[in-house]
Amino acid sequence: MMPNSSFLRMNISCLLVLAIGALGIAGDPIKQNLKEPTTLRQTIDRAVQESWKKEKIKAEENCDDATFLRRIYLDLLGTIPNHDEAIKFLSDKDEKKRNKLIERLLDDPQFSQNQTTLWDLILFGRNPPNQEATRNRTLFKQWLSDKIARNEPFDHWVRDLILAEQEGSELFYAQFNNKPEDLTESFSRIFLGTQIQCARCHDHPFTELLQKDFYGMTGFFVRLVVMDQGSSGNGEKQVKKFKIGEKSSGEVLFSGNQKELKPGKKGEPVKPKFLSGAILEEPTLPSDFKEPEFKSGTKSLPKPLFSRKEKLAQWATAPDNPFFARAAVNRIWSQFMGRGIVHPVDNFGSDNKPTLPDLLDNLTEQFIAHKFDTKWLIRELVSSQTYQLGSKGENKDALPKHFERARIRPLSAEEILSAMKVAGGDPEQKLEGSTGEYFRRYFGEPTNGLGDFQGSLSEHLFLNNSSNVRAFISRKKGNLADTINASKEPWNQRIDKMFISVLTRYPKESERAKFTAYLQSDPKSENLVEEAIWVLMNMSEFRFNH
Amino acid sequence: MNDHKSSGECKKSEHFSRRALLKGSLATGAGVAIPNWGGLFHSQSIASMAQKLGKRCILLWMNGGASQIDTFDMKPGKPTAGPFREIQSKLPGYKVCEYLPKMAQQVDKLGIIRSMRTASPDHPDGIYHMHTCYKQSERMPHPELGAMIAKYLGQTDADLPSFVRMGPTGNAGSGYLGPRYEPFGIERNGNMPYFTSPYLPAANESRRNDLLRFMEAEHKKENSADAYESHRVAKERAWRLLKAKSLFDTTKEWPKHQELYGASDFGRGCFLARKLTEAGVPFVEIGQDNYDSHADNFVCHKANMQILDPAWSGLLIDLERTGQLQDTLVVWMGEVGRTPQINNRAGRDHFIRGWTIVLAGGGIKGGVVYGSTDADGRDVATNPVSEGDLFATIYTALGINPRTKHYVGTRPIWATPEGSKPIKDLLP
Repeated sequence: MMPNSSFLRMNISCLLVLAIGALGIAGDPIKQNLKEPTTLRQTIDRAVQESWKKEKIKAEENCDDATFLRRIYLDLLGTIPNHDEAIKFLSDKDEKKRNKLIERLLDDPQFSQNQTTLWDLILFGRNPPNQEATRNRTLFKQWLSDKIARNEPFDHWVRDLILAEQEGSELFYAQFNNKPEDLTESFSRIFLGTQIQCARCHDHPFTELLQKDFYGMTGFFVRLVVMDQGSSGNGEKQVKKFKIGEKSSGEVLFSGNQKELKPGKKGEPVKPKFLSGAILEEPTLPSDFKEPEFKSGTKSLPKPLFSRKEKLAQWATAPDNPFFARAAVNRIWSQFMGRGIVHPVDNFGSDNKPTLPDLLDNLTEQFIAHKFDTKWLIRELVSSQTYQLGSKGENKDALPKHFERARIRPLSAEEILSAMKVAGGDPEQKLEGSTGEYFRRYFGEPTNGLGDFQGSLSEHLFLNNSSNVRAFISRKKGNLADTINASKEPWNQRIDKMFISVLTRYPKESERAKFTAYLQSDPKSENLVEEAIWVLMNMSEFRFNH
Repeated sequence: MNDHKSSGECKKSEHFSRRALLKGSLATGAGVAIPNWGGLFHSQSIASMAQKLGKRCILLWMNGGASQIDTFDMKPGKPTAGPFREIQSKLPGYKVCEYLPKMAQQVDKLGIIRSMRTASPDHPDGIYHMHTCYKQSERMPHPELGAMIAKYLGQTDADLPSFVRMGPTGNAGSGYLGPRYEPFGIERNGNMPYFTSPYLPAANESRRNDLLRFMEAEHKKENSADAYESHRVAKERAWRLLKAKSLFDTTKEWPKHQELYGASDFGRGCFLARKLTEAGVPFVEIGQDNYDSHADNFVCHKANMQILDPAWSGLLIDLERTGQLQDTLVVWMGEVGRTPQINNRAGRDHFIRGWTIVLAGGGIKGGVVYGSTDADGRDVATNPVSEGDLFATIYTALGINPRTKHYVGTRPIWATPEGSKPIKDLLP
């Protein structure tokens, strides 16, 4: 079982450190190294490089500045740099410019907005249940972005999410609208990195998970009630409000393997049980207890005699929880490295081992030691050489297993939309009617069941023929097309400007020559300029973060 | 059917090789040479075998659920019979509804399953279940029949989409197979969906696309990841589709075919489906609306059958005439059947205890009536058929192994649920 083996590993690594420390003598390089505190970024690079040695893998070189610039903007802010920002960075001679940029972006308000967008998608997905409640998540996002903007420790905000007592936070539960089994699946997957949905219907075929484990976890949610609190705003702007109540009674009834289920068979009550842990001890209910009524719209809901939700919050976010911190670092790692050390990130288990187990232990320990400071963790990740590797090369895998090359991941719908605005030269551009919806529809879910990218027909029909995309490209006062058309500079320079604006890099000589010929093929350049910008925005180079 | 797997579990060794295997199938999708996986897994060999057979499938979807008692499983003289009379079909002793006179003459082509016993009694769940053969409540991204067929019978370099749908009838899409196999929705008169009309003049469009091709070729020199290739291939597909757009236009041919298929939207859609499958589209779905007759069942069914009868029979005749019937499986079904008892609004409600689905062509044995319901049609009497059995029959007829396995994350999922059995009596 995972917790045991990880303890064992920790013990061994502690012993090793002690042993080396004891043996070290003056002038010993090992001892010298020990003097300097090892940063997490160094630990990451050492672990990854060792695995290359072991696997006899030739890794990519460090990526160039332009590649780094686009990558870090997309990963930290969810958009690309504009032309002037790019020029400034590329011409900067400061050796520490990458680290300085990382600091600046981590402090940008857009960083917390972007993290909010990412976590919102993790918690709700593209098509959350209870559409009516989840369609407009403004209140929830407000709640979360406040937390992230203050860099509230990860365990703190997750605890508040589980308690669901702050305005906006209730929506995570509300999406499951009194379906505790569905909530159990999502909660375990997201926060414990464990897929227990198999065990909903049958004992898990490949792991130790039993149906009783699933229903044991469901016990923590079964007494929650989602209370409608009306709504504010109208039409598109309507936001539904909820309160989460918790009853003092009610149990999960377990009726065995779903396949062997006979109609009319009543289930046995199951006690709440922490995943792979103890059964919850709770006081017995007084025999004369009568459940108070839960009324929609009331300001304060009845308090339970004993709160299972609080116990879950405590257990789930505790530093010694065997799942929580590991699942979190692994997920955050994958945001930047493309794949988890355990991959997929929400499927820890004896049948899906980590590729770099010691590193995962190390990351977990340090994340806990740094009090679940996500910003610190992200800074270490993106400052590592591993993150800053090049993205070219022969390897066909978009997400290399040994991290020997930067991952290639499709931009999200939100990123493409934002990147097109920035590239087109009008980041504040107002969107045509359904543009946002189309972007979510055509770019929202570009992968198959294994997370591999698949280009779709509808995505390209939209890119090729829609006025929604054209709106970012065609000439309007002050935008990129306008600047290029109005400029009196030689074509060379104008082409540089286009490339920097859209692809965040200078053109190669062959590209510059081709574009120069193209743009000069007709003295009336307006159509040609629009077409050329369209080409850059339609490249696979633009479609991915690489 | 399957060599080594009869239960729902798989060996651990297979489990771990999933990634390599699925990479193999993605590579096919991206039009790259297929590495030889040997006997490791069957999804590749299935695809190539199925493609060699060159089979196709047309799904006639009776949206809302057609009544079995008023079509192919009549109960004359019983309290559940309703007002329609029977007529003799081409098959001795087998009678069908008087409003299906043309189909009565095609019965020798039909495999009629009168013993469907299914599990999802309502519209969204029934539509999902009958398009995927899995329950919607499992909350897995199951792909529709059309997506599965698109994956295994589609040609990667085809100009046309591999899954065409006329009318909004399915609700699961391509699921875990990914957006490569999503349905391409058009109208029954062949009208194309949004974003299929270029805004540039052809000459500008063409020079623009060539410039992109140049840039992609430059990019490809140093970047080999599959994801880039998938993007490029999808772009080329979108361009090729517009070149083939004229195929969807039936304005010229329709007057000549109107008499055979009947002058209706649905009939025209059936004709277009025939045209598309002939051109290599492996799966076309076309919906007929308004079968959900909780009130006035007989008015509703009479009107629908008068459209259905010429369209469906016209399709079968046309397929036979053009030599395609042997390779084109035509499936007639909806999400539910309708109750034997007639309610107080002269309607029939949803019914899943014993209803009818009809297959034809694609190698299905014609003139076979499989299974039966009891005297009043209140339950299956012999040979019950589940959603999984039906899909296993369809897949087998098309050369796709019904136990083909895919993964969602690390979880294996089969094309049909454990225990699904193809109906041998209908297969060659």
